[in-house]
Amino acid sequence: MIYVHRIFTALLATVPMSLTYAVTSGAAAQTSTQAATKSAHARDISIGLQAAITSMDPHYHNVGPNNSTLRHIFQPLVAPDENQKLTPALATSWRAIDDTTWEFKLRKNVRWHDGSAFTADDVAFTLKRVPNVPNSPSSFATFTKPIIDVKIIDLHTIIFKTAFPHPLLPSDLTAVAIISKAVGEKATTDDYNSGKAAIGTGPYKFVEYVANQRVVVKANYDYWGGEEPWDKVTFKMLTSPAARVAALLSGNVEMIETVPTADISQLEKNTKFALSNKVSNRVIYAHLNQHQDKAPVFLTDKAGKALEKNPLKDLRVRKALSMAINRDAIVSRVMEGRAVAASQLLADNFFGTSRKLKPAKFDPEGAKKLLAEAGYPNGFAMTIHGPNNRYINDAAIAQTIAQFYSRIGIEVKVDTMPSSVYFTRASKLEFSYMVLGWGTESGEQGSALRSLLATYDTAKGMGVTNRGRYSNPAFDKALGEALVTMDDKKRESMIQRAAEMAMEDVGLIPLHYEVSTWATTKALKYIPRTDQYTLAMNLKLAK
Amino acid sequence: MNAAAWLKRATKSALSFGEAPRIESPLQRFWSDFSESRLALIGLMLLTMIILIAIFAPLISPQNPYDLSQLDIMDSKLAPGEKSGAGHTHLLGTDDQGRDMLSAIFYGLRISLGVGIASTVFALAIGLFFGMIAAYFSGWVDTLIMRVVDIQLSFPAILIALILLAVLGQGADKIIVALITVQWAYYARTVRASALVEKQKEYIEAAKVLALSKTRILFCHMLPNCLPPLIVVATVQVAHAIALESTLSFLGLGLPITEPSLGLLISNGFTYLMSGKYWISFYPGLALLLTIMSINLVADQLRDVLNPRLKK
Repeated sequence: MIYVHRIFTALLATVPMSLTYAVTSGAAAQTSTQAATKSAHARDISIGLQAAITSMDPHYHNVGPNNSTLRHIFQPLVAPDENQKLTPALATSWRAIDDTTWEFKLRKNVRWHDGSAFTADDVAFTLKRVPNVPNSPSSFATFTKPIIDVKIIDLHTIIFKTAFPHPLLPSDLTAVAIISKAVGEKATTDDYNSGKAAIGTGPYKFVEYVANQRVVVKANYDYWGGEEPWDKVTFKMLTSPAARVAALLSGNVEMIETVPTADISQLEKNTKFALSNKVSNRVIYAHLNQHQDKAPVFLTDKAGKALEKNPLKDLRVRKALSMAINRDAIVSRVMEGRAVAASQLLADNFFGTSRKLKPAKFDPEGAKKLLAEAGYPNGFAMTIHGPNNRYINDAAIAQTIAQFYSRIGIEVKVDTMPSSVYFTRASKLEFSYMVLGWGTESGEQGSALRSLLATYDTAKGMGVTNRGRYSNPAFDKALGEALVTMDDKKRESMIQRAAEMAMEDVGLIPLHYEVSTWATTKALKYIPRTDQYTLAMNLKLAK
Repeated sequence: MNAAAWLKRATKSALSFGEAPRIESPLQRFWSDFSESRLALIGLMLLTMIILIAIFAPLISPQNPYDLSQLDIMDSKLAPGEKSGAGHTHLLGTDDQGRDMLSAIFYGLRISLGVGIASTVFALAIGLFFGMIAAYFSGWVDTLIMRVVDIQLSFPAILIALILLAVLGQGADKIIVALITVQWAYYARTVRASALVEKQKEYIEAAKVLALSKTRILFCHMLPNCLPPLIVVATVQVAHAIALESTLSFLGLGLPITEPSLGLLISNGFTYLMSGKYWISFYPGLALLLTIMSINLVADQLRDVLNPRLKK
């Protein structure tokens, strides 16, 4: 057997290439013609994306992959840099005049891709359009909702009034792409998809959008920020991880995002490629169903009979469930080192994260003791639910957690399903224990706490994604006060305190922060981003 | 039966001339016909071994791969022959959850064979029943049943199974239900064909003249004579059912991920093929290949032995 193993290991050194050809044989002809013309267009580049881009309308679908790709064509007033620090984009400066009034100075001499000038009118129009996009599957209105009044002072000065003190306004506005009033007034989402209305101010212009296939953009030589190193960028939607890696190996694309963890070590050894990675703003965590006092359906005693009380409402049980997980093992084994054990909702160094919080120590004996104290010396039976195509290695993570729980006497089943089914059922509160992920676009822990842990109240926009229905009035109060504090220093320490309250109460179980990995050919260098965006603007020639 | 075999038999009987003529029982005769093909014998040996492994899997496996508390993530992706943290040697390595591959394959064979045989037996019974009824009663009964069969056969099997499992959910029993639904039509069609032939024969007429009951004629007289072709179809179908079950598991339908069958093991290892960890996919694939191959070898020879046209 070991002999066979040796032969295989030797053989397999040659296998990846042949496999690659098999996978991409359809694209083989295309690749060779590309290679022939490559010398003529050294400034053309292809990038393999992990998800499909669903629309070219920047206000249609608030989802990471769309926002990332559309950033090439459309720009917000304020743009986050690779570390999610706010930098001027279409606004050159901004300040709060008082607690509820903001003044934004707009950039002069910016031209739309159709040649017309960018003014405050366009900004006002954009804010009006955002909440009114028909059939939007996930609206951007959350970001514009606090603005109750817009005043245009002159062509390049605009004033926003907010309903309440809203220190996160500049950060919220990073998600809102500004569109041209002249073009947008008559345009529908279809006009953006066809390219007719895809007129922005960004460094690249729209060329082509083919649903589930590709997005093509070309350089905007009149860009206010100066010329980019690429003439034409083709984003190919390669949702299968193996196909994405194969496309990179075969030279079909020069760069891919979200390198499958299983392939990272192999690519690292390959001298033709370079990897770059960064801790992202995405935390993988488990929500615990605390909605009812009665135990939820997927949580029973070992004989399958319903429990009278919901064990997940007991802090000791929640603590035990957190302590029983060996986060370091998940990071090193399941994630192959491409993750960081989590203690809260955002990695250290992000705004509002507390240094006092440390990942729960792996202690199965202590967990058993806590379960016994809580009245479950023999454990209980539980099903862990998770997606199998949303987060990096999501199905394997769910199984590994099950392994750890079975050691403290909990009888665990694992059920993973495609994310489309999973999220719908999770939002209906069908599950007991849910493996989930959350990327904090604002880079500020306050907004993650608000979405995931504040008591569920859609009218107030609190706890809108709180699928565990955790509720802690003291925490709600602390967080509520923090979110309306305008002074950054004060707000940060208040958010830290709120985070400590929720984490010590194990409102949810943080597992790890994803590390995103990009792979490029050796000739290129990608400046990795915490927001997991893949931007041609961050792609440079390696020196 | 080929000429050489005939010659062999002829010389054998010539040599034994003078001794008391040996009368072979049907079973003995069947066996001597069957054992003529060395390939079939190898297939049969292999199949017997696989079946024994499947039956005694819990006794001979180093680990219960479905008991999560026996797995250790720190032992994940060990290469064949490597030692785990606790000092056990994993002959075929471990998968991405630290599951011993050898044990997982033994248990996987159990699921594959169990599902394959159970679904075939039930599908055979259902197909037999409807096929016989269609042939015996003919008329509108025949038309109705056979049109249903036609519709069923016009859909690809994998498509029907996929839809059914999406509706039914997870579990070995659901896979069996899906496979029965997919397979019964083949048997119904085969049985009807041979039953139509048998129906014309004199012994059935004789039975009718004796005023035997319909059930007695159907099940005591016609049925045994329709069986040989069915046995052949059934053996081939077991192999099909196993392949179909693996396909469904590979696509992530059917069994829970904590109780992987061979198809799911292959699918899990697929991610690691490019990174050189071939064993997670390769050995379950090999086990599947050997199982299906041995069944097909046996089925091939059965077809030759049971086919009256090939008999001298």
